[in-house]
Amino acid sequence: MTLKELNKKCSCFARKLQKGSISEKCRIHHGPLSESCQAGKIKICKVTGDRKLCARMASLGVLPGEEAELICPQKGSQCLLKIHGGTLSLDQTTSNNIIVQSV
Amino acid sequence: MAVVAVLYQIVTAEKQTNNNITTSVISKQMSDKSITVALAGNPNAGKTTLFNKLTGARQHVGNYPGITVDHKEGYFNHDGREIVITDLPGTYSLTAYSVEEIVSRDFLTTQRPDVVINIVDASNLERNLYLTTQFLEMGVPLVIALNMMDVAKDRGIEIKFAKLAELLGIPVVPIIARSGKGTDELIRQAIRIADSDKKWIPRDISYGEDLDEVLMEIIAAIEKASFLTERYHARFTAIKYLEHDDQMLTKGQEADQELARQLEQTVGTISDHLLKTMDVYPEAIIADHRYGFIKSIIRQGVMTHKFDTDRLYTSDKIDKVLTNRLLGPLVMLGILFGLYQFTFSWSELPVAWMEGLFSWLGAIVETTLPDGMLKSMVISGVIDGVGGVLGFVPLIMFMFFGIAILEDSGYLARVAFMMDRVFRMFGLHGSSVMPFIVSGGIAGGCAVPGVMATRTLRSPKERMATLLTVPFMNCGAKVPVLVLLIGAFFADHKALYMFLFTMLAWLVALFAAKFLRMTVLKGEATPFVMELPPYRFPTLRGLIIHTWERTWQYIKKAGTVILGISILLWALMTFPGLPQSEQDTFNAARNTITNSYSEAVQREVMDFNDNTDVLSEKALELKNRLKEIEQEESGLTLRNSVAGRIGSFFEPVSVYAGFDWKTNIAMLGGFAAKEVIISTLGTVYSMGDIDVDDADSLGKRLVKDPSWNSVVAVSALIFIMFYAPCFVTVVCIAKEASWKWAFFSMAFNTTFAFFASVLVFQIGNLLG
Repeated sequence: MTLKELNKKCSCFARKLQKGSISEKCRIHHGPLSESCQAGKIKICKVTGDRKLCARMASLGVLPGEEAELICPQKGSQCLLKIHGGTLSLDQTTSNNIIVQSV
Repeated sequence: MAVVAVLYQIVTAEKQTNNNITTSVISKQMSDKSITVALAGNPNAGKTTLFNKLTGARQHVGNYPGITVDHKEGYFNHDGREIVITDLPGTYSLTAYSVEEIVSRDFLTTQRPDVVINIVDASNLERNLYLTTQFLEMGVPLVIALNMMDVAKDRGIEIKFAKLAELLGIPVVPIIARSGKGTDELIRQAIRIADSDKKWIPRDISYGEDLDEVLMEIIAAIEKASFLTERYHARFTAIKYLEHDDQMLTKGQEADQELARQLEQTVGTISDHLLKTMDVYPEAIIADHRYGFIKSIIRQGVMTHKFDTDRLYTSDKIDKVLTNRLLGPLVMLGILFGLYQFTFSWSELPVAWMEGLFSWLGAIVETTLPDGMLKSMVISGVIDGVGGVLGFVPLIMFMFFGIAILEDSGYLARVAFMMDRVFRMFGLHGSSVMPFIVSGGIAGGCAVPGVMATRTLRSPKERMATLLTVPFMNCGAKVPVLVLLIGAFFADHKALYMFLFTMLAWLVALFAAKFLRMTVLKGEATPFVMELPPYRFPTLRGLIIHTWERTWQYIKKAGTVILGISILLWALMTFPGLPQSEQDTFNAARNTITNSYSEAVQREVMDFNDNTDVLSEKALELKNRLKEIEQEESGLTLRNSVAGRIGSFFEPVSVYAGFDWKTNIAMLGGFAAKEVIISTLGTVYSMGDIDVDDADSLGKRLVKDPSWNSVVAVSALIFIMFYAPCFVTVVCIAKEASWKWAFFSMAFNTTFAFFASVLVFQIGNLLG
């Protein structure tokens, strides 16, 4: 077995494990980013909060309609969001204000 | 001199934050033909690396967003042209969201450089071009340095830079700043743009019908009244008004109150309209259109992906593990503990060599110089004082090397991300991690840059809480003291104790921050948003430069400030000396003892040579009795000295924490610089022991001393870790905040440290 094949098999097994352990509610998520519990693609629906936070998020490309990749969901806490080629770390206050839906 | 240099840096830094950036002496000396270049870009795009490459300046390059807080200036020659280059802080935009953004924008508008080199990370083009669009809107003469082409290639990203240049209408030069590839062409293009002597022409980007209409209205009003036009283009001011830029609104109020009110009203109306109809603020629409502009350029064949664009890069995959909620903190603790093991086990041998070197120097002086004041000063003041500090250079070097690896690899930014959750509980911010780490969170830093690094924090209260608690960390100056006392009293578990005391420093700093945030610094928390740099393999050259820079600072401090303080403290401990009557008493006692032995024994002791002779029993007895008198006289001289009197003055209080008057002298010296504690202890405990060959190392001397034991050692360690910051840090706090906060820091820290030490000493004694 080549290294590539082994990697493919392992990834497949990991995906099966992941699917088994994640609830349906988690897979189809619509709500604050802080409540997302599955890594993967998401679409930003709305950015709420005070004006400064909205402006800061906008300048970093976190805008309604943009697609991003949630790398490290830590439900109820911080998360890592990959958007416009960069990786943003966001705290709970910020991710509470970003309304997303899973893609 | 070093103190003057540090103070100069503080004053300079303050001037910069106050946005009064003045042209440096260097640029004034340059001829008219010289070109001024500003280096701007996102954090971690490689500005500082390029700056170092071009100027050869030894400046620290970190892998943490916003490490370059101040603007740095250097100069170099290219084809006979003198070029003055300024390294601006890393920013994502030119709107006043942070100090860095204000500094960069003000530099460009007040200094008006001949050309701006916008360094763009090719592997993260879309995000980086956001700042570029704002430079274009500002109209600055611009050249794009497309950096990290190698990283982009590895990620399967191909960028047609000629096409990008054509679409943007500005030169684009592909470079690799780490290796210097393409930098010659970059400078050639920068000179060409600077020589073209073009006016600043802003680029118009459409922000949609609604905003464009209002924008035209505002521009007309600004141009009619020449409102702020001496510094900013009318369109730029209009956009900033729409973005609700605080700094620009204040400037507008100062320039023309009536017009500013009218403009704010116009912007307020459109903001309300957009909120009602689209549920967004104008700045979000502006940002959306800027990203739209960037996408429209990129999609015209500028960038192609060889691999699937959705795939995660290695860096993201590593993050999935290293920032995992469970695994992340475990890995972090493991890495930090590994750093300690590496530092203390690997540096043991070189530290021993350094100790040997200074013992040898002491022996040379002992045999070369005649007895007297000079010999006492050289041995007790210089060799024991400075030698004690320089002896730790290898340890400091290993520690800095480890920190440089963490910084340059990008892991330190992940530590900030993971620690934010913890820091928030204590009323701090994830970005407070960097000042804490720089100050010695991973033992070995310095509180002065730590205090300065708090500028990256945007919330004034979190910044102040960080600024006041960073001196609790175990800085590089405290490390040798910790190593000395832990090595002497807890020799079997050095690394473990060092780790525990570092953890204690963190705990105390965090609880002190919480206390401050609940009392004198009450207020709301600020959101933590930070871009994480990708993981990178640090270059050996970079690691060596960073390690050497910090080690050299330590050596310089030992050779200047500490040398001066050691000599001053030696003088304080030597003068005014014993009154003549008491000296006569000791001389009489010496004569009586000597005369009680035969002339042969007296001659044997006088002619005694340490290396070759063996004393007879009687001679040895005489020698020891004379030595006892000498030690008694030295002890009394020390107690009668200025320092001894100060130490004795505090003894009735300090005794509750287990400190005698000798330790008090060292603690007083520590206010000048914490390393001085070692040199002072060295001097205090060697005053009655001028014979270097007989002298044990300071650690052994302390263990043998009846006033020291392991409980006193822990009490002293706690006091040293937490009492008033050194005076350079105090000055720095005063410059960054105010003298009121500087005095508060001294009083608060010393009171806390004293009560903590008393508690430890009393409980320790009760437990036996």
